[in-house]
Amino acid sequence: MGRPKNVYFTVTASIIGLMVAIQFQTVSEPEVRDTRDTWELRNDLMGEKELQSELLHEIRTIEDKLTKYENEREQSKEQLLKETLEELKGEAGLTEVTGPGIILTLQPIVNELGQEVPMSRVSPSLLQRLINELNMYGAIHLSVDEQRVINTTVIRDIGTVTKIDGHSLNRLPIQIKVITKNAEEADKLYKRMEISTVVEDFFIDNLRVVLEKPEEDIMIPGYQDTIRIRYMEPVETGVGGDG
Amino acid sequence: MWLPFMGLVIGVIIGLLTDIRIPPEYSNYLSIAILAALDTLFGGIRAQLQNIYDEKVFVSGFFFNIVLAASLAFLGVHLGVDLYLAAVFAFGVRLFQNIAVIRRILLTKWTTNGEK
Repeated sequence: MGRPKNVYFTVTASIIGLMVAIQFQTVSEPEVRDTRDTWELRNDLMGEKELQSELLHEIRTIEDKLTKYENEREQSKEQLLKETLEELKGEAGLTEVTGPGIILTLQPIVNELGQEVPMSRVSPSLLQRLINELNMYGAIHLSVDEQRVINTTVIRDIGTVTKIDGHSLNRLPIQIKVITKNAEEADKLYKRMEISTVVEDFFIDNLRVVLEKPEEDIMIPGYQDTIRIRYMEPVETGVGGDG
Repeated sequence: MWLPFMGLVIGVIIGLLTDIRIPPEYSNYLSIAILAALDTLFGGIRAQLQNIYDEKVFVSGFFFNIVLAASLAFLGVHLGVDLYLAAVFAFGVRLFQNIAVIRRILLTKWTTNGEK
């Protein structure tokens, strides 16, 4: 038996041994037999329960932290700014609003023969007066023919057609929706409008204003166009201010 | 003659000490490879006893058989046929034959030595 033969054999045998060991370790699932008695089991159970309570404690602290962070976030300036922005948007009339209020409908009058008298047009000045009166008596949000009336809304006569912010008011009936602060205000407004003279003035234009009983949920759409601000600019900070 | 056996033992010890594990899905291939390696080893012992041992044949056969067996098992897995059984069968039969031949040779050697 020469020397190199033995070396090769040894190397090969050790490789085989290595492979066998690896295979053995991989395949042999350690068979764990439960040989604990009641006392040991009890101890183990105690340990697990302690772990559980620790975990619960951890969960509680983390949840506390979460609520704390959420509170902080809510109270942060960013949230405040967002809320203010939303509030301002609502006030400016860019958002859809629902609330208690009344609905006025402009309808054509019917003559003695039972025929509808064709309307000439809705007079812009009359409409403005009506809106002014509504505003005076507690209207907060207004829409005319599903067009939101905001502070910069224009009602004017363009080529014999009355337009409100570019929307033509040439098709009857025209609904004027009004939202008030609460149901009582709506009731008050309704009563005031019943005795209002403006309503009668619409007769000149062959129009009849039908007042509907106050409702709980009136939906008024938001202003659709963008509001262009032409004559306003932010104040320079440090000039006359405390910034 | 003791050196290869020592090598085997050393290999096993190293393997157990290093705690190498392969993924369970590859254990099939390794088992086939082990079988092939064992077959080659016993073949080598037999050849030595018959005085027809060639180390090139031995070493090349060792690695070639391992690779062949593993690739056969791999092919079998991918074809959906238990091809590794063919390798198990072939190597198993040869293993038994080799061991039988070794046993006979040793037996004759022993009896001739006893007669002497």
